[in-house]
Amino acid sequence: MDRIECQWCKAQNEPERTSCTTCGAPLDKKNLVSDSGWTEAPRLRDMTEFRFSNSICQIEGEIVPVAELALAPGDSVFFEHHVMLWKEPGVPLSALNVPGGARRMIGGMPHIMSVAHGPGRVALSKDATGEVVVLPIHPSHEIDVREHAFLAGTHSLNYSFVRIKGLANVLHGGSGMYMDRFVTGGEQGLLLLHGYGNVFQKTLQPGEQILVEPGGFLYKDSSVTMNTVRQSFKTGMLGSHNMYLAEMTGPGRVGVQSMYVHHGSE
Amino acid sequence: MSTPAAYTCPYCRLPSDGSGTACPNCGAPTDVRARVTKSGWAEQPPIRDMARIRFNRSTCQISGTYVPVAEMKLDPEDSVYFSHHVLLHTEPTVRLEMMKMAGGWNRMLAGMPLLMMTARGPGHLAISADHPGETLAVPLPANHAVDVVEHRFLVATTNVGFQWERAGVWYVTQNGDEQEYHYPLGYTMDRFSASGGPGLLLLHGPGNTFIRDLQHGERILIQPSSLIWKDRSVRMFLHLEYPRGNYWFSSARWQAKSIWLVLQGPGRVAVQSVFERPETVGSIINTSGATTHYW
Repeated sequence: MDRIECQWCKAQNEPERTSCTTCGAPLDKKNLVSDSGWTEAPRLRDMTEFRFSNSICQIEGEIVPVAELALAPGDSVFFEHHVMLWKEPGVPLSALNVPGGARRMIGGMPHIMSVAHGPGRVALSKDATGEVVVLPIHPSHEIDVREHAFLAGTHSLNYSFVRIKGLANVLHGGSGMYMDRFVTGGEQGLLLLHGYGNVFQKTLQPGEQILVEPGGFLYKDSSVTMNTVRQSFKTGMLGSHNMYLAEMTGPGRVGVQSMYVHHGSE
Repeated sequence: MSTPAAYTCPYCRLPSDGSGTACPNCGAPTDVRARVTKSGWAEQPPIRDMARIRFNRSTCQISGTYVPVAEMKLDPEDSVYFSHHVLLHTEPTVRLEMMKMAGGWNRMLAGMPLLMMTARGPGHLAISADHPGETLAVPLPANHAVDVVEHRFLVATTNVGFQWERAGVWYVTQNGDEQEYHYPLGYTMDRFSASGGPGLLLLHGPGNTFIRDLQHGERILIQPSSLIWKDRSVRMFLHLEYPRGNYWFSSARWQAKSIWLVLQGPGRVAVQSVFERPETVGSIINTSGATTHYW
């Protein structure tokens, strides 16, 4: 019998499945794609389960969703320490060795990252309305995420952060000084993000460009370049107004969220 | 070949061929039964994910259900305007310009957006109100005008004129020696009127939206901040209700009073289920004009 390909993460699933085993996306619903090619991130059904390594993640709730992780022995996840909603007493915790502590502190990024090790259960919540975006990361793939949007990453992901280049980008880009970067080694990893409002993804062709509100930027493949461009508008004989947009150039995926803080106009 | 039966949308009142699952003028679903309360409020059904609205030679597609996004596919001949901070993304081919607006100083004092931007096709751009709620499409027939409470406006076609007027609804409270002015609808209201042809106005409504037609002289009392928009023909003024109270400190004159907005027909009104109660501390010593009732 034919297997079902998930339209969101392209994983193959057993024919009887109603949600993807790899990312939880509903398999019995078509992807919603706008006329200009933005795909709406799949709204995960309440209590949807999906797997990573030997562990299970279940998404609970729809307004402020919770990711409950049943960690198998040998598996672990890392996350910002303040997103932990509850845990079983026997789940060991450790701190992730994150380089560049002083720079991270200056950049407003969390300098403590916790790691929960299996066996046992731990639940994570971003404590804000929105949706959980599940991104399975294929081996040797890199993805950049706006700071504070990251909810959890599995042990097979390498975590680092990259400085956003260019003073104008830092000052007017709305993404702070750094972006989180997640890289997989030989094994597929799973990244959970929290998107405020609804989340949309577009795949840019090589050289294709799109201008995005900087506050709306959520993630991108590292192959996508991001520059801040200024739009100047005259507002009268003497006045002018500058607005800053993030210019994304393909190839690769770009994710945006529909609820954000507007940055970069003066 | 048979032609589909004519369909008149119960929400925007405009005819279409009724062949799709959504009204092409306002995006309201056509295949659901109208939900009207016994008191006459019609619940505005949310625009379905990816539903399309046609305007001039362009389309608007509403995507997302929680914090919806209005994605415009603009024809080279068409343009829209919006407050600059609601722009989520745009293709580089879309021409962005600043819209000339008068009365900037007054708008700044009233806390309203100072900058409006126009976008001209060809290309796609997307607008997000950046708050949970519903996108409301109000197609405006030529020469028709509606009054909209401030901060509800999302985007409009450029043939829809935009001006603002004093809301004219206020009251003054006195608490000890302090007097304070209150504007429960805001200091000003936006007025949108279509000229030279029909226009499209998109608003953002937090919570759920309900609409109703008021007959000539018919009145309804609402929480002032729940109003989203109304026809120009609908009059509004305050109504103060003082419940019976035994003690001075808990009495209606001090805090327990109700401050209502009276809407008087004829015309359509739309309210939202999210609102803020008006400030009631202190005695009301002056109003913009109000009826009063002591229980």
